[in-house]
Amino acid sequence: MIHHYDVLIIGGGLTGLRAALRVSDAGLNGAVVSKVHPLRSHSVAAQGGMNASLGNVKGEDGTKDSWKNHAYDTVKGSDYLADQDAVERLCREAPTAVIELEHMGTVWSRLADGKIAQRPFGGAGFPRTCYAADRTGHNALHTLYEHVSGRQIPVYEEFFVTSLVTKDGRCIGCTALELMTGQVHGFLAKAVLMASGGFGRIFNKSTNALINTGDGPALALRAGALLKDMEFVQFHPTTLYGTNILITEGARGEGGILLNQNGERFMERYAPNSVDLAPRDVVARSIEQEIAEGRGYDGGYVHLDLRHLGAARITERLPGIRQIAIDFAGVDPIQDPVPVQPGQHYSMGGIDADINGATALPGLYAAGECACISVHGANRLGGNSLVETVVFGRLVAEKIIEDVEEMTLANDEPVKAAIKSTNDRIEGILRREGGELVFGIKDVMTNNMSNKFGIFREKQKMREGLDEIKKIQEQVGHVSLQNKERKLNQALIRFLELEGMLLLAEAVARGALAREESRGSHKRTDYPERDDLNFLKHTLVGLRDDTMHVSYKPVTLGVFEPRERVY
Amino acid sequence: MKLKVYRYHEGMAAPRYDTFQLVPSPAMTVLEALFQFQEKLDDSLAFRYSCRGAVCGTCAMLINKVPRLACRTQVESLLKGNLKVAIAPYPAIGETVPWDPEEEVLVEPLPHLPVIRDLIVDMGIFFQYYRFIAPVFRPSDPDPEKERIMDPAAVKKLETYTNCVLCAACHAACPVVGQNPEYLGPAALAKLYRFHVDPRDVEEDSTLKRADIPNGWWACDLYGNCNRVCPKGVPPRTAIEKAVAALNKEKKEA
Repeated sequence: MIHHYDVLIIGGGLTGLRAALRVSDAGLNGAVVSKVHPLRSHSVAAQGGMNASLGNVKGEDGTKDSWKNHAYDTVKGSDYLADQDAVERLCREAPTAVIELEHMGTVWSRLADGKIAQRPFGGAGFPRTCYAADRTGHNALHTLYEHVSGRQIPVYEEFFVTSLVTKDGRCIGCTALELMTGQVHGFLAKAVLMASGGFGRIFNKSTNALINTGDGPALALRAGALLKDMEFVQFHPTTLYGTNILITEGARGEGGILLNQNGERFMERYAPNSVDLAPRDVVARSIEQEIAEGRGYDGGYVHLDLRHLGAARITERLPGIRQIAIDFAGVDPIQDPVPVQPGQHYSMGGIDADINGATALPGLYAAGECACISVHGANRLGGNSLVETVVFGRLVAEKIIEDVEEMTLANDEPVKAAIKSTNDRIEGILRREGGELVFGIKDVMTNNMSNKFGIFREKQKMREGLDEIKKIQEQVGHVSLQNKERKLNQALIRFLELEGMLLLAEAVARGALAREESRGSHKRTDYPERDDLNFLKHTLVGLRDDTMHVSYKPVTLGVFEPRERVY
Repeated sequence: MKLKVYRYHEGMAAPRYDTFQLVPSPAMTVLEALFQFQEKLDDSLAFRYSCRGAVCGTCAMLINKVPRLACRTQVESLLKGNLKVAIAPYPAIGETVPWDPEEEVLVEPLPHLPVIRDLIVDMGIFFQYYRFIAPVFRPSDPDPEKERIMDPAAVKKLETYTNCVLCAACHAACPVVGQNPEYLGPAALAKLYRFHVDPRDVEEDSTLKRADIPNGWWACDLYGNCNRVCPKGVPPRTAIEKAVAALNKEKKEA
């Protein structure tokens, strides 16, 4: 079965739904394809908030926030690797994006004067983070879904995209496996927007939803697009010990403090000015070092203490966090400190896209966490990813609307051929017997990534890590599934996800090995300093003849000159 | 420590139950136990999952005869008897298979929705009722340049209802839904109430009218199972009572 649309959006999170609404505003025929129901997308889990210089809360010295302040903090936070033109666009558009959501119905938390509340977040010079308690993603996603569903925009739920289809060097659609029936569908479109989220689950300790397997970047890479800055992986300082569920930075924004086993507020030593609210890379490394030097608790964690905030503030501002701590760690933050450790949280890298979301593959656009438009550079500030989703969800949709005006749909033939080859491939996988099971291999990969490409990196370990990835890639060719059915075969989906994850793991590894410096989240113990002379540039990874190639391209600098980052 | 799991797929004459001995791990959730089953015993077991942190609403199922999120429910707590929820009995949670609650956790698909395979149900009707109540914020006044001003106290009241994750636990726990499949059900009604209490829409409020039909507000029998099973503390029954009171008052005045 082949479906025809002007614009096909892969992914039903904040970026995808925001784009879908914009495409619908323009009167174009658009659809969303998602491997889960849109409300189950990982956007729903975003807690702390969305940065925008509304200026509803004044800074410490009574001054008002501005998009320029937001841009400065973002560029500094990125360790100067972000493209400054993209950052400017993000920060200029951020207030509009927040207000748009408000107009659509999002229930933001409010100040006493009734305006949208804003709180301090790491690495930010002003209280800039707009929030809906600690359920900001949930509130925003439900709002967008309400409108998408109200406008009857077609959503292909529980469709797993199996390939992007190209013709004459242009992306013209995709194939997707309908989970419930096992049928492979074809989609033909004038433009395809990838908005499929991050790839955090290539690491074993991750805050990400289990579905965050990076399917989009892997599909794009195979189809001829490039990946950018894949080595920059954000480790969030505070994930719940045991399950690695996120404990929002907002907990520290509200006044929570980190304590080691000796009850010492150790962040005073690492970031004398910002203390617990230094950016994530700084805080994550500090915690890791405390643990490594024996000042953590057994098992490898420190304490996040919220008790001094009092029951009223905790229940009002951080109700979700309190519930998570009770449900998943048996700890009530009103009475006891919360055990936390760093865990993978965000993929700064992704599909190389320009300021309009266009990729190296004409017809394919990318936005949101799966993309690297490069507003986060080497380290993302808390609250900047949510705003990126809705700002670029809309802006990239606008570019697509402009571009498809003069385009016609390609003919069905290449999509038909792609359906056939996808069916052959699936049948081939299902026919295999013997070999290893998919689940064990996945654990080997995720452990390898955390052990060899974690918070502190070093050449020898990374070499071993890359060898291991290559070995697993070999093994995966022999994996077999017990379940041989076409209909609702989740083992098959997990296998297809794993194939893509191994590609991304290799891209992370190659980027990290080649970058012989420390910048933002990428910390090399063998190259501890930032090296602007040789590495103030973006890493690109492409696939040619099944071999990965690393190249570079310049960073778009601007008014903010690279300086040493001090917090 | 065992998991007893409902199994069914198209073509089977009747469902069966598989029992699986779990390898214990600290604080294991029912969702983790299901992954263990899938990875160690049978990779054809089907169940939905996503966030594993009780925020996305994907993994609601009937666990020890109570609809709840598998990711938020700990196996050990169930075996210890710590997670009992007193809900009014209804046919769909009657006995299906003998099980030992001190040894086994019984996992079945959400009632009141058609089973597709194993623990996966068809949520179609649930979202059809969601769409029926038209859950879209459409204020009658034009959008101001900036945000509409809201009293923080009103936000608090609203949050009680915006917290719904649409997991359908309440739908599965509602005895009325079981008797009358055309009843809009607690989730859709609580969602509609959320728009009714949104103070930003200042015009004459007709929101409640959208469910002013026999299968809407009026079909609720006030069992209150919905309030008791909601994993996010949303109280649909409370919303329905308030809506009914408001509509009755309006009708009296007219």
